[in-house]
This record gives sequence, structure tokens and C-alpha cells, in this order.
Amino acid sequence: MSARGSVKMEKVSKRHGETTVLHSVNLEIKAGEFFVLLGPSGSGKTTTLRILAGLEPVSGGQVWIDGEDVTFTEPGARDVAMVFQSYALYPHMTVAQNIGFPLKMVGQSQQAIAEAVNEAAKRVGIAHLLSRRPGQLSGGQQQRVALARAIVRHPRIFLLDEPLSNLDAKLRLETRLELHQLQRELGVTTVYVTHDQEEAMTLADRIAVFMEGEIVQVGTPRDIFGEPSTMEVAGFIGTPPMNLIPAQWTENTIDIQGSTHQAPMFSSQSKDITVGIRPNDFRLTLHGISARVLHIEDLGDNTIINFEANTLRLKLKMEGLTNLREGEEVHLSFDPKSAHLFDRQNGKRLN
Amino acid sequence: MNRFGRQVTLYAVSGLLVSVWAFPVLWAFLTSFKTERDVLAYPPMFFFTPTLSNYKEVLFGTSSILPNLWSSLVVTCSATFFTLCLAIPAAYALARLRYPFRRASGFYILATQMLPPVGLVIPYYLTLQRFGWLDTYSGLVIIYLTFSLPFAIWLLVSYFEDIPYEMEEAALLDRAGRWRALWFIVLPQVGGGIAVTTVFVFLNAWNEFMFAVVLGGNRVRPVTVAMFNFISVEQTQWAKVAAGSMVAMAPVILLGLLAQRHIVKGLTVGAVKGGGRR
Amino acid sequence: MGLNKSNVEDQERRFALILFLPSFLLLLLITTAPLVFLAWNSLQKLDLGMPWISGFAGFGNYVKMGEDPRFWNSLGLTFLYTSSTVVLQILIGLSLALLVLQIPRGQAIMRIAAILPIVLAPVVVGLFWRTLVLAPDFGLVDLVTRALGLGNYNWLGDPQLALISVIAIHTWQWTPFAFLVLLATLATLPPDVFEAARLDRANAWQRFWHITLPLIRPAIVMVIILRTMTALSAFAAIFAATGGGPGTSTEILNLYAYRTSFTELNIGYGSALAIVLLAITMLVSWTLFRHRRKGST
Repeated sequence: MSARGSVKMEKVSKRHGETTVLHSVNLEIKAGEFFVLLGPSGSGKTTTLRILAGLEPVSGGQVWIDGEDVTFTEPGARDVAMVFQSYALYPHMTVAQNIGFPLKMVGQSQQAIAEAVNEAAKRVGIAHLLSRRPGQLSGGQQQRVALARAIVRHPRIFLLDEPLSNLDAKLRLETRLELHQLQRELGVTTVYVTHDQEEAMTLADRIAVFMEGEIVQVGTPRDIFGEPSTMEVAGFIGTPPMNLIPAQWTENTIDIQGSTHQAPMFSSQSKDITVGIRPNDFRLTLHGISARVLHIEDLGDNTIINFEANTLRLKLKMEGLTNLREGEEVHLSFDPKSAHLFDRQNGKRLN
Repeated sequence: MNRFGRQVTLYAVSGLLVSVWAFPVLWAFLTSFKTERDVLAYPPMFFFTPTLSNYKEVLFGTSSILPNLWSSLVVTCSATFFTLCLAIPAAYALARLRYPFRRASGFYILATQMLPPVGLVIPYYLTLQRFGWLDTYSGLVIIYLTFSLPFAIWLLVSYFEDIPYEMEEAALLDRAGRWRALWFIVLPQVGGGIAVTTVFVFLNAWNEFMFAVVLGGNRVRPVTVAMFNFISVEQTQWAKVAAGSMVAMAPVILLGLLAQRHIVKGLTVGAVKGGGRR
Repeated sequence: MGLNKSNVEDQERRFALILFLPSFLLLLLITTAPLVFLAWNSLQKLDLGMPWISGFAGFGNYVKMGEDPRFWNSLGLTFLYTSSTVVLQILIGLSLALLVLQIPRGQAIMRIAAILPIVLAPVVVGLFWRTLVLAPDFGLVDLVTRALGLGNYNWLGDPQLALISVIAIHTWQWTPFAFLVLLATLATLPPDVFEAARLDRANAWQRFWHITLPLIRPAIVMVIILRTMTALSAFAAIFAATGGGPGTSTEILNLYAYRTSFTELNIGYGSALAIVLLAITMLVSWTLFRHRRKGST
């Protein structure tokens, strides 16, 4: 495990004509870290990755790798490897030739190339496919070839652009575990782009959440799940997503549609807020938000109940089965410690 | 009309089509093996004793078209070769790379295809005459580039655009550099497109007439000009004319039959994505 | 590693220009320069047959053109020729494509038959038609008309018939292009749209008019553009078949410019005619392209 592959981005911005795709991105990635760029489509995470790779020029700001300014260095000279979403395999070459291509480009001997190719192929489990062409492989196999091509050069950084999104659900879960293991074994800094928050939570050492061209929060999965810094982040992380409820926060109480609940903190002024409650933090109580059961989703080992409270749609998640029925009227409340309070206007976290 | 009746009509109409389009060539083919007397017979003879005398005369006689075949071959092959050498890199740049005035220059190339040849042949004649380049191979080949080059560039651009950009990016990350990325990764992928373009460029060049007749002469006289002269000289010698046409058109007919899938593909690509002389 | 600003971008630009400039400069030299020369010549009195007449003519050639009945004749013929053949090509090509679509087994041989007219040199096509097809007494057409009892016609010798004949020749040669392109386009249409229409109780004609036609519209427009360009500059076939005659009955503007320049050796006037043809071509293509851009989507 070397100390190679630390990244620093300072005030990186990117414009496409009139539109600004990235506003002043600041980022620090430690060597050996599995760092995930998470966000919805169009939030700028892929652009950031490509800037790191050198495939997109910056409109402003600087990029350092291991203390070296690489902002204007060409992609081939940065010693980074990338796995594209579409894998970008060379269709006219065999798998072995695909994997060996980066080594051929730096002029290694045929023997050295063959050895390295074999080693890489074995590591990802495709040693038996070396003489096939990409067109003859399944999606999962192609993805491994792309991986092998990336690891064969022992780069200082791996860049992965939504590598699992083209795989079916089951394969995705299996490959996810393998990727995690691979990274642990190799110890190479990995920057991983995804819009799937579950993937991010399971794979990452740290996550940077992107929204509309900016990083809104950086932290460990636990940090982001437990203390989302904005309303948007809160609504993005977690399945099913957090319930976001407009409310009034006065001193020690939170007023939601006429029902009062205890607040986790004291507020001297009356504030308009949005309360975030995770579906599994809701409780059925005698006094609370009046809600009517709309629909019950039975998922086997747990149940999701969809409620309607005036115009609000709320979700509750519980283990096991429920006795409730559609149309029933109940009351909902929550443990104040599990409430996330956000300023209703700017979405920032208040507690 | 019932199912069977419909099928019959369809086949009948298609048969009619095939004959309308194929017949002239087939008829010329047949005629080329007849004696002049048999040609003039009425009603026309489908069965006759074939003779090779027409071909013998056309190829080895006094007005042999062998030198013309040679002219055509030299001019066409040279024009095709130079066109490809210039067009392939230019099309790649147009399709892929960013440089100043890229869009404008793209439109310019498209526009040059719209020029009516008669507008160009007049100044060409005057210019080549002044420099003594009339009736030379180099003169003719350069002029042939006028229509080959823009067409080839436009056709190739659509093939280059079909290659996913990510593949080149992967090659760049693999330290290939731009030249090697082009050579190892991009070009192998457009092999099919290059083949189609070559076929079309060859066809257009072989069949060119106006430039050949005005700017060529006694030394450089492609088969198209030779055929034209046949009309006036060999007035009623249909059989000889037929044989001459067969020889003159043999290369392109052969090319057409062998490469017909490529040709159809090329026509559709060219038509759907814009530009093209044929 | 270079710290020069935009090192990567500069590199790309240099690479691009190395690849692109040779072709671009060559084209500039062999197309734009000659056009300037042509325009210059059109303003001259330049007659190789009467070399003592020379000098600047200003717009004299163009004025002369306005009063030249032969010019207006050629303009009218150009218009007639181009529009007839393009319309015919589209109509026939489309009808045949629709037909052939329904006989998958016949398509291979249809393609081969369709390739033949396209690969032939137009000059040879003109030659064929003049000798084997339209020749009085021996041509194919003559045999057919006589067999059907419709009598004998001098296809290329009669002024009106000659025009019809050259239109027929051009149409014969180029309809396969429209046919092949439209056939290929029709083959790519998704079948589910038609199935949905059938369920909506649309009959064959309605399906054609409301679904097929709009879907293949871009291809049709492109074919129109390409075929129009070819028709405007059609030369070899007409030249071989009629030479522009009899008289001037098949002398489209293209041919008139050629004859004026190289048969009558009046380069100045010929250049002016060529400029007018160029202007017309540019206008037509600009209009068609604009229409295509507007109509697409």
C-alpha cells in the first residue's frame, strides 16, 4: 500500500458556453481511499471525474495529484486509469490485446505484457476469456475486462464512472462486493461516480454529495446518513427517502399541521422549518399528525405504509407485518432525537 | 384480390422492374457477341452464333481502346489514392477534433460539392492551357480531386462520428497519444466505411466525362471519352459499340456486383446524413 | 509535465490542423480560385474564335443574356428537366420500394438490378439509349412499339420527343438510387407503430399517409436534394444522346454554357452562363437545405 494517489481540487469550475456545470468544487482525497462522488444525473459528478482524468479542461481552478499540479497535463501523463460506463473496450482486439494495450503503448516487452495481462485477468476472474473478442462476451464479462485493463498498469488512481449501472440487479450486488474487495487488496486510491446512494453507502470510505454542480456535503457514509447537511441531501439518501415535512419550530415544540411534537433543541425565535423523519423513525401514537393509510407495501421481511396527511404523503417503514388496513386513521409522531431540522428557505441543517 | 393474386402481381411488377433496369446492359452484352449483320436483323435474334470478333477489334484492332483503359486506370487509381490520403485525416479532424472555424469549414466542404462542373471546367481549361498541363495525367488527377475529395470527406465523417468517443478517450488514458489512438483504435473501426468510400470514389472517377473530354487530349483519354468518340466514328456498328461499352464498363459493373451491399449501405449513409454527389 | 496554459487544447488544435489543412487548402485552390477566375472571365469579352475582340465588358454579357432567347429556352428546359426527373424518381422509387418491401425473397435480385444503372457512366448510358434503345428501326423501344402496333417514332430526332427521351434516360439511370435509399429506410421503420395504427383501425392508405410518409420524410428530402443537384449538372448522358439537339430542344443551361464555351469558343459569354447556373444551383440547394432543417424533428 503506497502513499500514492492523493488528490486535491481547488476552486475547480467548468462552463459550457453559457451554462456553468461546476461551481467552484473543492475536494481532498487521501491516498488509498475509496472515495465516491454521489449525486443525481447532471449534478456534475461525472464532469468532476473527467476533469480529474484530464479528459475535460477546467474553466477555472486547479487540480493536484500527489502534490503535483496536473491541471493542464494530458490524460496519458497523469498515471490514472479509468473504467467507463460503457466500458469502451476496443472491439477489434482480443481481450488479451485490450488488457495489454496500455502496456504496449509504453513499450514494454511482449513477455512482460503477457505476464501482466495474465495476472490482471486472473485477479478479476477472466483468465479463460483472453482470446475472445469483446463482442462475444456478456456485460458482466466486458466489465471485468475494462477493470483488468485499468489495473494492469498499476496506476496511482482508479477512476470508475458508474461501472455497475449497465448490469442487472443481481450481478450488480455481486460485483459490488468484488469491487470492494479488489480495492482493499490493491490499496489504490479509487474515485467512483454513481447516482445509486445504496452503492455509495456500501462501498465508500467517504462520500462527496453533488447537487447542481456543487458539493453540498463530504463525509463518511455514517455522517451523511446520520447528519445530512441539507434538505436535498437528506431527501436523496436512504431507501425509501426521508419524509420532509413543512413545520413551525417555536422554543421547544414543533408544530406540524396542528399537532405538536417535542423538538430536539431550543429555539428562541419562531422558525419556518422542514422536518426530516426517516421512514423507520416514525411511530404510531395517540397524539400526533393525523394521517390516513393509503397503501400498504408488504416487502416480506419489512413493510412500508404510505399515509396521506392532508396534502402530505408520508412513509413509515417497520419490520414484520402490520395490522393496519387501508383507510384507517392513525396518528404519527417521532423521537425528537431522530428529527432532522432544516431551514425551510435555504434547506440548511439547523440541529 | 386474394393473397395469392397479390403475390403474383408483386412478383410480376418486380420482374418488370428488373428487366427495365437490367435489360439494356444484358442486351448490350448479347449484342456484343453478334455479327453486325445479325444485329440488324428484324425481328431481333436471341439465338445466334456468337463471335468474338467485335471484342478482338475493340481490344486489338486499329481503334483499340486498350490505351484508353490504361488512361482510365492510371487516372482513376491515382485520384482514388490521393483522395483517400487527404480525406481520411480531414474527415477525422472534422468529426472529432476541436479547432477554430470547424463548423464553417465543414459547411464550406459541403458547399463545394454543389458546384456545377461546367462552372469549373472553363477556368480549368484556361489555366491548364496556360501552364501546358492539358492532356497530362497530373493535371487531370488534380482536377478529379475537385469532386472526389469533398464527397469522400463527407461520407467518411459520418463513419467517424459513429465511433463512440469514449474509445478514443480510453486510448488516450492508456498513453497512446493522438496519432497512435487514431492508428490503432479509430482507423480499424472505420475499415468498412473506408471500403465503401473507396468504391464510390473509384466509380465516380472512372465514369467522369466532362473533365476528361475537355482537359484530356490524345495522350490522356479515359474510356468514357473513347466511348463518346465511338458514336460518331462507328455510327451504325452497334455490335462493336456494344463490345466497346462492355469493356469500358467491365470494371465498374464488376465492382458494382461484388460490392453491392457496400454500395447500398453507402447510399443510405450518404443520403441520410447529408451531402454526396451520387 | 507542461504547465503551459491549455497545453492539451493547443495540442489538439495543432493535431487537427495538421490533419485538416492539406485538404482544405487544396480545395480552396481548386474550387474557389477557379470560381473567382470564372467570374472575372464573365466580365470580359473573350472569344477564342475571334481573338481580336477582347477587353472589359462589365455586365455586358449578362445584359446580352437577358435578351437571348436561347438562354431563356435553356432556363426553361432546365427547370422542366430537373423537376420532371426528380418527381418521377421519387414517385417511381417510392412506389417500387413499397412494393418490394413485401416480397423479401425478391429483394436480393432487385438490388443487383438496381445497382446496374447507377454504376454505369452517364456517357455510356446516353450512348446505349441512343443506339440500342431509341434508335429508329433497331432500338428496343421501337421493337416494342411496333409489336404493339403503335408505330414508329424518331425519339431523338423529334424536338419534343427528344426532351421526353432525355428525361426518360436520366430517370432510368437514377431512380434506382431513390429506390434503394427508400427501401433501406422503410426497412428500418419500427413495426410496432404500424401495429398500433392497425389497432386504431387505420386502413392501408391512412397508415401510409399519416405514419409511413412522415417517418421517411427526412430520407425523401435528402434524396430530393441529391437528385436535384445531379439533374442540374447533368451533362454526359444528354451530350451523348442528343448533343443538346435537335437544335436546342434538349439544351439545358449546363449544356448551353458548355457549347458556348467549347464549341463556339465564346468563353466570356459562356462564363457568364456558367455563373448564372452556379447562382441557380446555390439558390436551389440553400432553399432545399433550409427546408430540410426547418422540417426536421
